[in-house]
Amino acid sequence: MISRRVLLAGIGAATFAGPMARAAQPKAKLILVVLRGAMDGLGVVPKLDDPYLGEHRKALVPSKTLSLTDGFALDAHLTALHQWFLAGEASIVHAISGPWRDRSHFLSQDLLESGGVTAAGRTGWLNRALSVHSSLSAVSIGPAQPLILKGSAQTSSWSPPVLPPASPDTIARLMDMYAADPILQQALGQAIATNAMTQTTKSSTRGGREQGFAKHMAAAARLMTAPGGPNIAVVCMDGWDTHSAQIGRLGRSLRALNEGLIAGRSALKETWEDTVIACVTEFGRTVRDNGAKGTDHGTAGAAFLAGGALKTAGGKMLGDWPGLAPGALYQNRDLYPANDLHALFKGLLTQLYGFDAPGLAKVFPDTRGGPVMRLA
Amino acid sequence: MLMEAALASVRFGLGAQPGEMARAAADPQAWLRAQINPTAAHLGTRAAQALPTSNDAITALVKRRKDMKAGGDEALRRAARRSLVQEISARNQHAQRTQTPFAERWAQFWANHFTVAATRIETVYLAGPFEREAIRPHVFGRFETLLKAATLHAGMLSYLDNHRSFGPSTRVAQRRGLGLNENLAREVLELHTLGVDGGYTQTDVESLAKALTGYVPGFSPAARRDPGKPVVFAEFVHEPGAKTLMRQCFRADGQGQAPAMLDFLSQHPSTANHISRKLARHFIADMPPRSAVDALTHTFNRTRGDLGAIAQQLIELEEAWALPLVKVKTPQELMISAARILGLSSAFGGARKSYAGFAQTPLLAPSPAGWADTADVWLSPDAMMKRVEWANQVARRSRMPANVFLTEALGPLASAADHSTLRRAESPAQAMTLALMSPAFQRR
Repeated sequence: MISRRVLLAGIGAATFAGPMARAAQPKAKLILVVLRGAMDGLGVVPKLDDPYLGEHRKALVPSKTLSLTDGFALDAHLTALHQWFLAGEASIVHAISGPWRDRSHFLSQDLLESGGVTAAGRTGWLNRALSVHSSLSAVSIGPAQPLILKGSAQTSSWSPPVLPPASPDTIARLMDMYAADPILQQALGQAIATNAMTQTTKSSTRGGREQGFAKHMAAAARLMTAPGGPNIAVVCMDGWDTHSAQIGRLGRSLRALNEGLIAGRSALKETWEDTVIACVTEFGRTVRDNGAKGTDHGTAGAAFLAGGALKTAGGKMLGDWPGLAPGALYQNRDLYPANDLHALFKGLLTQLYGFDAPGLAKVFPDTRGGPVMRLA
Repeated sequence: MLMEAALASVRFGLGAQPGEMARAAADPQAWLRAQINPTAAHLGTRAAQALPTSNDAITALVKRRKDMKAGGDEALRRAARRSLVQEISARNQHAQRTQTPFAERWAQFWANHFTVAATRIETVYLAGPFEREAIRPHVFGRFETLLKAATLHAGMLSYLDNHRSFGPSTRVAQRRGLGLNENLAREVLELHTLGVDGGYTQTDVESLAKALTGYVPGFSPAARRDPGKPVVFAEFVHEPGAKTLMRQCFRADGQGQAPAMLDFLSQHPSTANHISRKLARHFIADMPPRSAVDALTHTFNRTRGDLGAIAQQLIELEEAWALPLVKVKTPQELMISAARILGLSSAFGGARKSYAGFAQTPLLAPSPAGWADTADVWLSPDAMMKRVEWANQVARRSRMPANVFLTEALGPLASAADHSTLRRAESPAQAMTLALMSPAFQRR
């Protein structure tokens, strides 16, 4: 039995603390929130002083908004983001899209996660980032491992427990049984390591009262703040595909997003100062109302950044704004993609973890040499 | 023959019931072939007899709307939830008990291909009837019949918003500022027929969406002039005129235009390729061999989409009988196979939410793409631990000795090392947990 315990402890150490030869683990934390289903950026962050806004989508402008800068406003459900924006701890990149121009959810989400331009590969860009910068580690929250973390670098995953745990002895025997099945062995080994971490965290991941997305955000933050915890967490949130009855559906999703952001910050505690939470979506939606009080699949949307590590990039509307005049729209239907998600991702890797151009080229081979958003 | 019988049960079927492998052993291929039969794909349990039709579902929805206006919200929510639980447990019960498990796997593949998820109130009522009426009767027929039945069923029309799609030049759209909703058309092209690389453009999406306008589920206001039908073609909502899809012109034909387009799509080479790849991925490997995909595509094209002939071809593929077991069971497949061998319906977790996080519950797929069919999506570390916890629960309720389990469920697929690991277990329950989690039972 002793040898098994040593084996389990060894897996835990190798996963998150890294072997001795590695460089010290960076302090900076990144929580990447993938908003699946294509959030309507223009519905959440309307440019109220644009004369064309009402003409395009009168029924879709939120009735209650909170003022930002440059004539932009934020849907009133996002109180936390607004407060942080005013405090210089959050910013928004509007009119942003990946370098793809496809309106399929599934392909676009795969591209967002794989870091491709036209064809989605089988590995995720964050996994490639872990390979380039070997002292980084990552965890996904939720039962399924998202594409963005797939690849040769080992990552872990965690979701709230629902059943009583199996005994350590049973688990150790399974690890022996999987000696000849590396796929099952690796999955179980990673799970053992992550579970060990949740048990060493004082405010246990089991303890939270939050539900759904907020629970996942709080869990991500607690795992990250544990000793030797991962630098990067990926949390996904569904429910943004608002083809009809958009105002009500978007309101519900935004309320949950707001609660999740609050839960994440409070669980991060002082680590908030070293963190960026980035919320991105696979594409935006049509500028015009589709007649069913909703919007169809479009091109550019909005991305949210929050956290103390934003430093001087906080409190700003980042990037260019293409306008809403009919001639300024993409294919006369979508918000023009004036800003690039790859540039944002590269900016985050540069700002938080000091990636240089050759490193970025390995993470995003299809857009090597492309622009890097300045976030400092 | 014993190894072939084991593969017939485990890979083509849903996992053996006690004695199943012995029955299949005489001629495993013939055992599978006999299941290529439309009645074998019906939901056969007694509980299924009492399940609603789409007509019942529409009547219930219309009544529900009236009752909602009169109050009584909570009771209606409970009733909807009850009907969904009934649907799911009827399907699980059937999967556990059926004597034609290959036909059931085949039906479940197609139900997932044409996903209608119970994610909103209309589909809570309609997802079950959709599967019974539009999918199961057609899974061994022609693909074009299945495609039309699925696309134009009230369940799919409401799941993908076709009742919210209005021909842009119709009077009602102009007067009330309504327009096209592309959701159904896009998913038909991307998921159900050509595939995302199938060569269609945004214009094709719009053409198909326009042709589909007018087809609405019976609860829709546009169907009011034609009460008592599950699906209505409301001419006044339909975008009139000829349309072009994939460079092919479709004349103005009102109600006939969308079915004509669906017929055309069902015969397209991209569709044959897309479907064949999905089938090979499901039955053979996450990255299926090119030769197997080609053989299935060839049969699809040669028979113009005869799904019975394609099932037959699949059974005859050498690649489909290869060892070792490379596919990892989905959580749902794992639960079904445990329920079958142990005779234990509690392997599904009943109506309790405890397994919901990883169970891939039928009728509740997260998107129109259905549940993923490759292990990289759901074999995460966390999901692996959830499996162990699940096996631990199931093992406590099982009465079967673990060595009998290995022999009956896996036969020659279980290794000598597996048997000896179980013999050394500290308790019968631990032995069963290990048996359920053994590499051979986790794979198919």
